[in-house]
Amino acid sequence: MSTGQEQLQDYMRLPAEVLYREELEALIKEDTGKIPAGWQMSPRSVLTFIAGGKAGKKVITPKYIGNTRLIEMAVATLVTDRALLLIGEPGTAKSWLSENLAAAIYGNSGLVVQGTAGTSEEQVRYSWNYAMLLANGPTPEALVRSPIMRAMEDGGIARFEEISRCASEVQDALISILSEKTISVPELGKETSARKGFSIIATANTRDRGVNEMSAALKRRFNIIVLPAPSDIETELSIVKKRVAEIAASYELQAAVPADDALLKVVTIFRELRSGMTLDKKEKVKTPAGVISTAEAISLLTNSMALAASFGSGELTDNDLAAGLQGAIVKDDDKDKLVWKEYLDNVMKKKGTEWRSLYQACKEMNE
Amino acid sequence: MTAAAEAGVRIFGVRHLSPGGARHLLDFLDEHKPTAVLIEGPSDATDEIRHLTEGATRPPVAILAFTDQVPVRTVLWPFAIYSPEYQAMKWARKHKAEAAFIDLPSSVTLGLQGAMNRSRAAGPEAVPSVDQAGEPEATEVQDEDSVYSRIAQLAGEYDYDMYWERNYEHNDSSGAYQAAIHAFSAHMRELGEEKELREQPSEYAYNALREAYMRRQIQQTVAAGHKPDKIAVICGAYHASALAAALPPMSDEELAALPSRSTKLTLMPYSYYKLSTMSGYGAGNAAPHYFEMMWDAMAAGKPEELPHRYLSAVAGHVRSGGTYRSTAEVIEAVRLAESLAALHGGSRPALRDLRDAAQTLLGHGDLGAIAEPLARVDVGTAIGYLPEGVSQTPIQDDLNRLLKQYKLEKYKSAVASDLQLDLRENRRVSSEQAAFLDLNRSVLFHRLSLLGISFARNRPSGQDSATWAEHWVIQWSPEVEIQVVESTLLGETVEVAAAYVLREKLQECRSIAEASMLIRIACQCAMTAQMEEGTRVLQNLAALSRDVAGMAAAARELSTILSFGDIRKVDTAPLLPLLEELFNRGCLFLLDASGCNDEAAGAMLTAMNELNGISLEHGDKLNDGQWLQELHKLAERDDRNPRLSGYACAILLERGSVSAGELAAEVSRRLSPGIPADLGAGWFEGLSMRGHYGLLSRMSLWEQLNDYINALDDDQFKRALVFLRRAFSTFSPREKTMISELLGELWGVNSEQAAEVLTGELKEEEAKMLDELNDFDFGDF
Repeated sequence: MSTGQEQLQDYMRLPAEVLYREELEALIKEDTGKIPAGWQMSPRSVLTFIAGGKAGKKVITPKYIGNTRLIEMAVATLVTDRALLLIGEPGTAKSWLSENLAAAIYGNSGLVVQGTAGTSEEQVRYSWNYAMLLANGPTPEALVRSPIMRAMEDGGIARFEEISRCASEVQDALISILSEKTISVPELGKETSARKGFSIIATANTRDRGVNEMSAALKRRFNIIVLPAPSDIETELSIVKKRVAEIAASYELQAAVPADDALLKVVTIFRELRSGMTLDKKEKVKTPAGVISTAEAISLLTNSMALAASFGSGELTDNDLAAGLQGAIVKDDDKDKLVWKEYLDNVMKKKGTEWRSLYQACKEMNE
Repeated sequence: MTAAAEAGVRIFGVRHLSPGGARHLLDFLDEHKPTAVLIEGPSDATDEIRHLTEGATRPPVAILAFTDQVPVRTVLWPFAIYSPEYQAMKWARKHKAEAAFIDLPSSVTLGLQGAMNRSRAAGPEAVPSVDQAGEPEATEVQDEDSVYSRIAQLAGEYDYDMYWERNYEHNDSSGAYQAAIHAFSAHMRELGEEKELREQPSEYAYNALREAYMRRQIQQTVAAGHKPDKIAVICGAYHASALAAALPPMSDEELAALPSRSTKLTLMPYSYYKLSTMSGYGAGNAAPHYFEMMWDAMAAGKPEELPHRYLSAVAGHVRSGGTYRSTAEVIEAVRLAESLAALHGGSRPALRDLRDAAQTLLGHGDLGAIAEPLARVDVGTAIGYLPEGVSQTPIQDDLNRLLKQYKLEKYKSAVASDLQLDLRENRRVSSEQAAFLDLNRSVLFHRLSLLGISFARNRPSGQDSATWAEHWVIQWSPEVEIQVVESTLLGETVEVAAAYVLREKLQECRSIAEASMLIRIACQCAMTAQMEEGTRVLQNLAALSRDVAGMAAAARELSTILSFGDIRKVDTAPLLPLLEELFNRGCLFLLDASGCNDEAAGAMLTAMNELNGISLEHGDKLNDGQWLQELHKLAERDDRNPRLSGYACAILLERGSVSAGELAAEVSRRLSPGIPADLGAGWFEGLSMRGHYGLLSRMSLWEQLNDYINALDDDQFKRALVFLRRAFSTFSPREKTMISELLGELWGVNSEQAAEVLTGELKEEEAKMLDELNDFDFGDF
């Protein structure tokens, strides 16, 4: 057991089903609801796993904080064996939600197609082990099945990340898979039909709109759920706090978890820059060209922690935060630098004494 | 023990506007076959049941009670097709049972409301909306918000409406429904009653009074010979336990002691939109059309088909909006809604489930794309209809008749529509009525606006004093109907009421401007008698007035009516003598009124402009010569406001009654070095307010101005600069360029060089000089 633990700790990032194995086991054990074919637990338990709650005595931590109704809609979609498309701004926990859904429903979040501009149709359907193909001709052994095909055979859930980054002919390959629920392999003269429980969770960025616009035919085959940016500052704070603590633990960062005060400052700055006005809605703020999502806030804070641990005292200082903010907000664009400068001078400077030292640090950094 | 409770009349508690309640109530009535159906509603409106249940009546409709004396107070009892009360009335009519309302009569309700308002004085809480909601009541919902949202939370729902729909509207078993709602409201009452007694004693007392009165009515029905177990009482579930309990009914003396106001009742069409905006109104308030669909599905015995109908309807609206959505998506939306309901352990999707499914499948995740279709399907645009001859106030009848006569019935809709009117005679039609249809419509609309009835709104059209075109935006709402009913106190018909209002206004009128406006309104409303009266009022006011600005504005109104009044088929000839009088008085007092300060001069400038315009328009009828003569006097005088003198000069110049020589003489006199700067430059400011090109074309004028400025010492120059700056601010950039060219010529400067200097950057010392000017002391202005 102890060796197993050590091995797990060697990985940078564990899949959800491993990370939350105990919670999943508890949920399956305590489950009383009706379990749909191909699922490992009832829809209600899936909901508990994502939104948090209790399974018997075991406390289930919330995985997605914010709008529970959206999770309900996602789960209900998968119950009706429809494919699910999560769209939203970058950093709104689309992939995170899709991974956790797959882990809860299927127990395996690893059947992933990672969509890029170079993704080919073979990666969606199947390809061949050419050495074997040349040696023996088309045989089932020579067939290299895509994650989607494997999910079909197993009645599981496949994930398709960044679907809108793929070329439209690759996207088109999904259309017939989603409506027929079969993949035919003419070379072998056979078809793979999906077992009950098969579904696809795809994610797409709203910022990528227009890169490879999804066809109406494909959109029609998905239930589309838009994940919003956290609606209020409390929600966003609790998300950032939770994730920063989790990541710090898994990377064994040798720095103290940032104080609530620092979190509040970062989240405030991010929300104000994102919405284009100050939180009290009294002043307009220019928005930088880059993405300023919750996920960026989280990585900014963990970066700053790493900086503090490696080159500083281990305590997160305003200088570490300022360096992080500079990197997150000003992205190789002179305009961003100007936006950040204006924000510093017009908004942050006036925020009072607690902000003074952070302002000074940011000001120096932005020179 | 009272007779009512002892005998065990059958009490059915409902939530108002609840299709499920209506459905179960019908089963209940069918089972017990009562001979008397007693309904919570104003007992003096029992006669209206006949009209409400008539075949041609189409809900939503409302009973409206109003006090027949000012201040007018009104109270409403709306009914939708799925109101349990409405269905009970229909049932009674069909089965020849006696139906009656048993709540306090409207006279007492309004009397009590007045008393409660007075006792509460400046209390923050609103007037109780004469509890139609049974439970939870309007005020209660806000107070007990936490309780209701806690119930929803415990049941794992997002809000109380969702909880209610899932647990009560979807309850298919009649017995279980009745037991559940009785238990629920009894407990809620237990929970809230003491608090109400403590915090809202008047509210508590009001409920107690109503319940005592209802018990009295029940007892009387028993006394009238109905078997107690053949009496069905339909009331808000909140009151059910109090009606069944052994409490004494209200006695005759008690009833007589209640405050009361004399009231009248009428029926009026109601709208789903209005129903949806009444907060705290019980089930069905947010989505009346959805609940009508639910009622239809229940009546057809297929409540499970509601999701199909709802989502198809949304898809239909999305498609007609130009976005294609396939049937497959509707099917998937139904499946999603059902699976959402299953997640909550519900048997059928609630409204929220359907909406979310629609957003996901039909809006592709975007609520904005389907917001309008959703509003159409949830709220709907339906308005009720009452057949002709049904109990209505005379003015309602009159308006309906007029709408029919002028072919405006199709505009009686809850959705706003535009109507362009052309007041001119339509020569292509044969009958006179058709030829002047638009004119008649316009008259009607103007009369309605005079009465404060917001049925048609006039949108100012592009042409300013537009003569034959009018643009109206027409929208019916229950408020309109209430306003119509309130006007019944003013007269029996729209015309009589409008005439009454106009007469009242004329009597109170104290200013010339107001009187002339009323004359215009009278003209627009085609009320000749009132026009004559207005003329008299205006004449009296004008005889005493020396206010040139007011008289000029009034004269302008009259002049417009005179010029274009005949399009309205109104005889405007009687107005001419009045216009003459106003014009003459305006001329007469011009000189006096011109001795004013700069602030008052603004109004005088407008007045001079108006009078000049009128004089030009009606030159044949008015004494134009006198006007010019007065202007000459003003232009020559040095002791009047210099701006006005200058302006008079400008008008004369424009009218061609000043020669170039005269002008030159005047300019050199005004702009001579000895004259103080405010007089000289102020006069020039007035002069330059009209006819810029006329001035630009007179080179000599600019020479004189140049000499004048050169002659000023530094201090005088700074003062003059203020006026000159103001004078030239009204010139367009092009005109300013022309001036600088003129001056350049005068100074012998090359125009290109001049442009270079003018457009170049300021030198340091120039900037400093301008800065110094900023320190200029305006104290003596």
